[in-house]
Amino acid sequence: MTDGGDQAEAERLIDRAFRLHPLSIPYRVLEQGLGLAFVLLVVGAPAFGVVQGTLGSTPTAALGVVIVLGVVGYGVAYYRRFEYELTADTFDIRSGVFARRDREIPLRRIQNVDISQNVVQRALGIAEVRLETAGGSTSEAHLKFVSVARANRLQREISRLSRASDEQSAEPETFETLFEISDRELGLLAVVSTDLRIIPALFLGASVFAPSAAAMFDAEMLLYGYQSVVGAIVGPLVTLAGIVLIGLLYGALNATLYYGFTLRGAADELRYERGLLQKYSGTIPLSKIQSLTVEENVLARWLGYASLEIETAGQSGSGAGSQGSTQSAIPIATRGRVLELTNSIEAVGDVTFERPPKRARQRYVVRYAAVVLVLTGLLWGVDAVVGLPFAPWLALGALVLVPPAAHLKWRNRGYAVGENHVLTRNGFWVRQTKIVPYYRVQTVASSATVFQRRRRLGTVTIDTAGARSLVGNDAEAVDVDEGTAARLREAVTASLYTALRRRREEDRRDRRRPNDEHAPGG
Amino acid sequence: MTVSDRNDDNVADDEQSTAGTPSTPTDGDPEETAPGDGETTDEPPSVAAAAGIDDDVLDSPRELASTVRLQWILRSTVGAAVFGAIVAGITLVAGGATDVVPAGRSTAVTAGVGVFLLAAVYGVLKAVLLYRSWEYVVREDSLYLRRGVFTRVRTVVPYVRVQHIDTTRSPLERLLGLSTLVVYTAGSRGADVTIPGLTPERASTLQTRLERLAIESEEADAV
Repeated sequence: MTDGGDQAEAERLIDRAFRLHPLSIPYRVLEQGLGLAFVLLVVGAPAFGVVQGTLGSTPTAALGVVIVLGVVGYGVAYYRRFEYELTADTFDIRSGVFARRDREIPLRRIQNVDISQNVVQRALGIAEVRLETAGGSTSEAHLKFVSVARANRLQREISRLSRASDEQSAEPETFETLFEISDRELGLLAVVSTDLRIIPALFLGASVFAPSAAAMFDAEMLLYGYQSVVGAIVGPLVTLAGIVLIGLLYGALNATLYYGFTLRGAADELRYERGLLQKYSGTIPLSKIQSLTVEENVLARWLGYASLEIETAGQSGSGAGSQGSTQSAIPIATRGRVLELTNSIEAVGDVTFERPPKRARQRYVVRYAAVVLVLTGLLWGVDAVVGLPFAPWLALGALVLVPPAAHLKWRNRGYAVGENHVLTRNGFWVRQTKIVPYYRVQTVASSATVFQRRRRLGTVTIDTAGARSLVGNDAEAVDVDEGTAARLREAVTASLYTALRRRREEDRRDRRRPNDEHAPGG
Repeated sequence: MTVSDRNDDNVADDEQSTAGTPSTPTDGDPEETAPGDGETTDEPPSVAAAAGIDDDVLDSPRELASTVRLQWILRSTVGAAVFGAIVAGITLVAGGATDVVPAGRSTAVTAGVGVFLLAAVYGVLKAVLLYRSWEYVVREDSLYLRRGVFTRVRTVVPYVRVQHIDTTRSPLERLLGLSTLVVYTAGSRGADVTIPGLTPERASTLQTRLERLAIESEEADAV
């Protein structure tokens, strides 16, 4: 009945109601107790004094005991009244201490099954399991906690059963390792994952605030001229070192997250494991993939490395943060390898990207020049109020950077129309190549701002049900020719229907085949 | 040379012609006969043909009811009044506290009224232009929307992707005899597919028509 642990391996899993792991009671109680203790320390101490003053110490102690008993009692009650059951085609949860809730999740609707473990949970041998569907804003099922063995079995069984209900035989799947992160790649990840975009921002911040800060200490600088010169040199160096340090720290943290990353694949599912301190594992059913994203930041691109992310329609976080159901399929690997794996997931084949027309560059020149002018104007304003140590018009020197910046922006944009996919590519600092299968397209829109219309340009946005698009991260072919935009818009819609029709035919053929095989036997 | 007979093979040419003539609706208030004759052509099976939608309904661009301008103007005028009041308030306070602007109630009133007038004129112009830019077409396989003053957006919603369709009426819309249709897809921008300014009858006709198209496309092309 209870989640016993090792001997559970031999037990039957389907059509039996289970409880959580018994250790989840003390863990949850302590987890909640710690939260409560924190509140008590901050708010409680004075309140405690007041209560003690009015009631006397014995009743107060009794009150404390009651509260503790309440928390423990609730923990036990939660455990006793929480039941989950895996049936042939649903996952059922009956839970709730006061308000009861019965929930049935059709296995076919499950997008991913994620398992996570932090350090304490690993020591206790328990794990947290989440099932995600495309519907709600949170995980549909959240098991806190079951034994590791049970978690892994659940994950396996759910994907086996959801496959079985798809038709096909329910034979155990053979997984082959598609990707395993090496130490070298992990090191590279730490270096490369530094978000380079923050550096110019920090520099800009430093160049704006440091001089004005210096201006405040103007008198001092006159007195200690020598020191200020040293300061002027050391200051930026310290700032730079700080930036690099923050970057490396962030990178190192990222590296612990992806420590031991392994991606294994079967005929219709991917499974990954990762994490040094906090362990994660998850499944990605291939049939639920909405789009793929190949991401390379400047540094990685320069070194010839890239990463691959997979978007499914699940909504809530998979533990990696607030990225929705974007799963990292490859945190970092050589570009060639990433493309190879991408191709094995979605057979994109050879595509050539079409860049926007050259006149799009003029737009970026105008845009960046305007930014420089506005900033110069602001500096001029600052100069007028507080006085800057340099002439504000010096900032116009940044105009030199405008043409190359515009060119780089233009160079990294593009779109490609494949046989079964549409691809878009954007971004210099972080270049994202999005791959959308036609049959996943939801809506297509083309838009043209006033500035785009002036140059007969337009943007085509291809919307999918992926979670990431919630923050406006749709596949976008930006600044293509007006005519191309219209053509692309209609072509993608037409391809959606063609792709759906083809899939339906394939489906029908697949369904007929097992029947044919059955015929001679029976 | 109208948008009405749009074919997928020469859309580009079509686009250019529409760029020249911003809006070429067939007529202001088209009579929408109840479809259901069920006569289909020999052409490859389209969703519309399967759903038994009349050919004259298909591909003819529709514009919104003209009263929608009034709705937008009223809304923007209220916004302009609030904005003007805020500006007047700020001017009054700033006039009292500093000498950047001259103090006194008359300056504040002038500033407020000035801002209100500017914003109101902008609102009226925008409403008129937006109304002119709006157009929707029930096509064979998809719903097509065109709108936008500064940024022109054209959206294509394939019927297979329609999850459900709502019609809503706000108090102001009820007063003006208007209705809004919202088409939901599983995409993140689903709620963006909104057609405002429909007469209630038009909205419900469109709703049933789109529902039938969605169901039909589902049967024909479900995955």
